[in-house]
Amino acid sequence: MTYFPEEVLEHVFDFLSSHRDRNAVSQVCKSWFRVERWSRHRVFIGNCYAISPERVIARFPRVRALTLKGKPHFADFSLVPHDWGGFVYPWIVAMAKSYPDLEELRLKRMVVSDESLELLSRSFPNFQSLVLVSCEGFSTDGLASIAANCRVLRELDLQENEVEDRRGHWLGCFPDSCTSLVSLNFACLKGEVNLGALERLVARCPNLRSLRLNRAVPLEALHKILTRAPQLVDIGIGSYVHESNSEAYVKLCNAVLNCKSVQSLSGFLEVAPCCLPAFYPICLNLTSLNLSYAPGIQGNELINLIRHCRKLQRLWILDYIGDKGLEVVASTCKELQELRVFPYDPYGGGNATVTEEGLVAISMGCPKLHSLLYFCRQMTNAALINVAKNCPNFTRFRLCILDPTKPDHVTLQPLDEGFGAIVQSCKGLRRLSLSGLLTDQVFLYIGMYAERLEMLSIAFAGESDKGMLYVLNGCKNLRKLEIRDSPFGDIALLTNVGKYETMRSLWMSSCDVTLGGCKALAKKMPRLNVEIINEKDQMMENSHDDGEKVEKMFVYRTLCGPRRDAPDFVWTL
Amino acid sequence: MGKITNSSSSSIDSSNHPSISSATSSLPQPKRDLSTDLRLGLSISTSQPDDSSSNSREQPSDWPSLKPLLRCTIAEKGNNRQHPTLFVKVYMEGIPIGRKLDLFAHNNYDSLVRTLSQMFRTTILCPDIDEVLSGNDHVLTYEDKEGDWMMVGDVPWEMFLTTVKRLKITRANQC
Repeated sequence: MTYFPEEVLEHVFDFLSSHRDRNAVSQVCKSWFRVERWSRHRVFIGNCYAISPERVIARFPRVRALTLKGKPHFADFSLVPHDWGGFVYPWIVAMAKSYPDLEELRLKRMVVSDESLELLSRSFPNFQSLVLVSCEGFSTDGLASIAANCRVLRELDLQENEVEDRRGHWLGCFPDSCTSLVSLNFACLKGEVNLGALERLVARCPNLRSLRLNRAVPLEALHKILTRAPQLVDIGIGSYVHESNSEAYVKLCNAVLNCKSVQSLSGFLEVAPCCLPAFYPICLNLTSLNLSYAPGIQGNELINLIRHCRKLQRLWILDYIGDKGLEVVASTCKELQELRVFPYDPYGGGNATVTEEGLVAISMGCPKLHSLLYFCRQMTNAALINVAKNCPNFTRFRLCILDPTKPDHVTLQPLDEGFGAIVQSCKGLRRLSLSGLLTDQVFLYIGMYAERLEMLSIAFAGESDKGMLYVLNGCKNLRKLEIRDSPFGDIALLTNVGKYETMRSLWMSSCDVTLGGCKALAKKMPRLNVEIINEKDQMMENSHDDGEKVEKMFVYRTLCGPRRDAPDFVWTL
Repeated sequence: MGKITNSSSSSIDSSNHPSISSATSSLPQPKRDLSTDLRLGLSISTSQPDDSSSNSREQPSDWPSLKPLLRCTIAEKGNNRQHPTLFVKVYMEGIPIGRKLDLFAHNNYDSLVRTLSQMFRTTILCPDIDEVLSGNDHVLTYEDKEGDWMMVGDVPWEMFLTTVKRLKITRANQC
């Protein structure tokens, strides 16, 4: 047998960046397991309750970058109560003792307290990168500790968090010696910022590449900032309101002309559209444009802006762009890979929105499209079949028809055939969200064809338990299944229980599963946590009978047993 | 770990939302008891069944599937406090009392002309499209920052917005 020195193995393993590859390699033999665990620096944990911090530390002693996810995805739509869980504090406490070299922490849908941020900022001298996505529980005081104490901070990226804004001067807490910032995103903050401190910070960080401002940064400050940082690659505009012939606007135009590296633009949280032409010069090189927070840009200004963006790869917009606007996108943005169209007026009548025609136009004009999120009011099977034919490369396909059980508006048939065409044609599909009128047939297609599917979102769909079973029995790579308001009950839940240990999690709310069914699942599968979430009535254990339907159920595999931090309204069976 | 007061107005605790337990219900919003309305002789809104703008209850925050921050931004669009405005005076020839119009509320010349036509109950013609100018038709002119009176429609809309000071609807045969 050839002797392979461990240093060589470690060097080879360094080339493995994907977690799956590393996981595979660690299972080959004991010595590979040992080398791999000592050399793994980046760990991804998709469910913070699947494992405890102590066990992670025991297995991987030398971690420098950790990604943690907390609440299930449906928490984004207010389906999970705020206090459900996902606290990062215990993780930071444990890591403070064992990971002195921690450099990066990326959290999604977790509860992050100011105390956690303070502890984080003081425990890791080499800490460089903090990314918080859809988190909550902290205030600008927590940000102040990060700013003040992380000496080599390079990245502070706050995406769509709920932050209590104490109007403190957190930006001013970055010491004068801090010159290492590469990325700063505080677009989700609602309060005032110290503009002088911001400008000085930008001026002393020559490596700053990405800067996303919040609403409180007005146009007058923007030109100063852009002048100090012409090397920016990604800009998020805060406020953009004033008269277009004033001096500040002219200065802005000049500052923008100097920003030759900008590839990504977002924000425009308040907009006077007549000032948009200032940005036309950089539109030529834009690869990413996010106008989903800019309801002030409409009609012609929007279309004119898009006409300049020939190199766009990612576009996020509001649906008043209309089908005509999407046709302009289709003819202009030939490099488009990702499109998201959000609803401008979800509860209103039928103002200008997008329909199946816009989607077909995009599919015809943009052959590289592989990721879609599309809110609309109507769809047809014919259109979906057409889209499937034009774009066989979809990896993410999320369609949300605002009236949740609307059929094909021409034939009045369910949309089974349309989605069936999508899963059959798009062999690389990893994520799918369904909507509209759907029977069990669509799930038969999904089970048959969606071999690479990892995440499936179902709402108001299906007719019987068979639907869910087609999916559980068919989709080999399914990791996350989330279902709401669909007629799947105990038979669907209990027929293939082994499947759940191969998945990260299952969410079912407002379905037909009963308490008895959930208890049976918990009993059969001790390595799953079966959580019942019932906010209305906390006396769960006494007053309910097994035949009662469960409002919200969250099932996930875990090595740690029931969690000890569950609030009263969560009952782990 | 203090509880954060949520300043987002559209985010409601999901326990306030009447849960739809039956999968056969086709709408996420609570159904109104129309039979009671009929008996009491109340008029029933003829708007679409999912139009909750006439419903005094808050919009359900779990449908459609939108993240809270985006939901907030879109909800604020109706809030005109922060929306910039550009009000200019508009006079029609022969009528001493003028009107005022917010130019930022329009995206293009068509929209402007349509609104003015309705406001002043007349046909306003676009000079390059409509060839025949008779005495009863009107055209739209504006005073620019230099004090000159110009025909509306020659320059791009955005440029127009930067130079217009006031509008005047004059008889066609004077142009």
